[in-house]
Amino acid sequence: MKILFIMAWRNLWRNKRRTIITSASVVLSLVLALFMRSMQFGSYETMIKAGVNDVGNMQVHDTGFWENRTIDHAFFNDPALIETIQSQAGVTGILPHLESFVLASYGDKTKGVQLTGIDPAAEDRQMQLSKRIIEGKYLQPNQVGVVLGEKISEYLAIGVGDSLVVLGQGYEGTTAVGIFPVTGIAHFVSPQMNDLLVYINLEAMQHLIFPYRPGLLTSISVYTQNNDEDRVLANLQSTLGDHYEIISWKTMLSDMLQSIELDNVSGLVMLMILYIIVAFGIFSTVLMMTVERRRQFAVMISVGMQRHKLVAMSIFESGLIAILGITTGLIITTPILYYLYINPIPLSGEMAAMYESFNIEPVITFSIDKTIFIGQSLVVLLLAMLSALYPIIYIFRFNVLNALRQ
Amino acid sequence: MSIIEIHNLHKTYTDTSVPVKAVNGINLSIKEGEFTAIVGPSGSGKTTLLNLLGGLDTPTEGDIFIGGMNIKNLTSRQLIDFRLHHIGFVFQSYNLIPVLTALENIAFIMELQGLKKLQRHEVAMKLIKKVGLEGKENFRPGELSGGQQQRVAVARALASRPKFILADEPTANLDSHATEELLNMMADLNKTENMTFIFSTHDKRVMDKARRIVTIDDGKVVY
Repeated sequence: MKILFIMAWRNLWRNKRRTIITSASVVLSLVLALFMRSMQFGSYETMIKAGVNDVGNMQVHDTGFWENRTIDHAFFNDPALIETIQSQAGVTGILPHLESFVLASYGDKTKGVQLTGIDPAAEDRQMQLSKRIIEGKYLQPNQVGVVLGEKISEYLAIGVGDSLVVLGQGYEGTTAVGIFPVTGIAHFVSPQMNDLLVYINLEAMQHLIFPYRPGLLTSISVYTQNNDEDRVLANLQSTLGDHYEIISWKTMLSDMLQSIELDNVSGLVMLMILYIIVAFGIFSTVLMMTVERRRQFAVMISVGMQRHKLVAMSIFESGLIAILGITTGLIITTPILYYLYINPIPLSGEMAAMYESFNIEPVITFSIDKTIFIGQSLVVLLLAMLSALYPIIYIFRFNVLNALRQ
Repeated sequence: MSIIEIHNLHKTYTDTSVPVKAVNGINLSIKEGEFTAIVGPSGSGKTTLLNLLGGLDTPTEGDIFIGGMNIKNLTSRQLIDFRLHHIGFVFQSYNLIPVLTALENIAFIMELQGLKKLQRHEVAMKLIKKVGLEGKENFRPGELSGGQQQRVAVARALASRPKFILADEPTANLDSHATEELLNMMADLNKTENMTFIFSTHDKRVMDKARRIVTIDDGKVVY
């Protein structure tokens, strides 16, 4: 075997220029593929991370809430429920919410907003909301007041210290009416959030929506370690499933996942085109190496070399071209991608706006997930092996005498 | 003792517009240690006969016994293995493996036979000395003259310790000096090692060295 490997290696370098050009095409395509996939997967990871950070790895609702999101599907917090959730191994935090669409008024202007009751301290730990405040202060525990999105404040021409009137539907047919001082104005990355979100202390929200019994919630967002997500989801579904629905982030962010899938498919089409070009590059080299050595193959068989050993040599040759290209490609790409992983590229203009619409920081992030590197390298190796099919078929079928007569 | 027995050998090529009887009923016996030249005009069937003897081509009719074995009964795979262990080849245009050195070209055959590295090296070095190429063992074919390449080819043919060596016009590409040297070397190997050589040639110098001349014409042994 060793001699076959040596011969394959030396055969490659008999025509240095051809081998270098072929390997360079493999390098170029691998570098392009790795950059493309790393950038795509980096964006997906960022989008998913941001999405999960917003909604939690899963949410616990009253059964039917996800299909029909009205305040009528709110439920009363039960200490046993919280304990059940928190007792699951892998749960890192929970965020209770009570949210409802209400009309918000100031002066002669009114606007529909999503009023969300939160635990300010816990929410800040998870979402760093206090960092979003551009005017005034973030909500303090037990403080009665609201934090508005920047655009709501602009539309209503309301500022810190002014009083916001809210009017909406309460629980079980009641009317929710309240007046709250504005404690702060926040800037969110997403324009939608700026235009929609109003945060209020959970207790104040519960009192607004149903003052007759404390503890009303519409959801509990559950945060877990990524590895524990599926197990926690299954456990909660089996434990709480009779009374509550447990919705995974994959359902809650299904629109985003579809966009990702669509983008991924378009990326795969691009990759396929790229790899078809590479495959032809490798194939043409292998073809030339086979055709120009027909006589040599014939001589080797004449002197007693079995055809399968010649096949092994040809496979080594194709494999070596691929490995040479893959190794060089990885050496070039890995440090650059690692640098970009640490230092994402900031975006501006339309691209930035698109990212912001998903509530994602407008930066191009890169993934250094090892599966990208392994996957793309294996694809190139596979293409090289497919290219080796021609010499394999040729070697098993060619006529030794005809080749010797050439 | 005969190492090759050919009985009523025919080879007809039918892939031409008119069927060509390249070998037309040859009967021949070659004894161990013979230094035989197969001669005849172009198209007489010399190369076809050699190809049939080497198991590179299959006869249309007739039998070839080598060391008592009818090679017609061997499968393609068995034939390759048979050639590896029993037949040495020397080609007109040397046909060494260009990416291997002289020593590696010789050792390559022994590697195919499964010999250990040390043994391969030892035997290959002995053969390098025997064919007078000491100091050139690490040269690749491209760095050797035609005569030197043909010597390596002879050493390669000897490396498998074959029953006989088939040489198809081995001197056709050599100048007179290289031809003389090669023939002397092969004659010496024939004498000292009792190695059987079968040449196809129209080179007068080869015929002069041969101890037996088989002349064929129109696919038949003439005398």
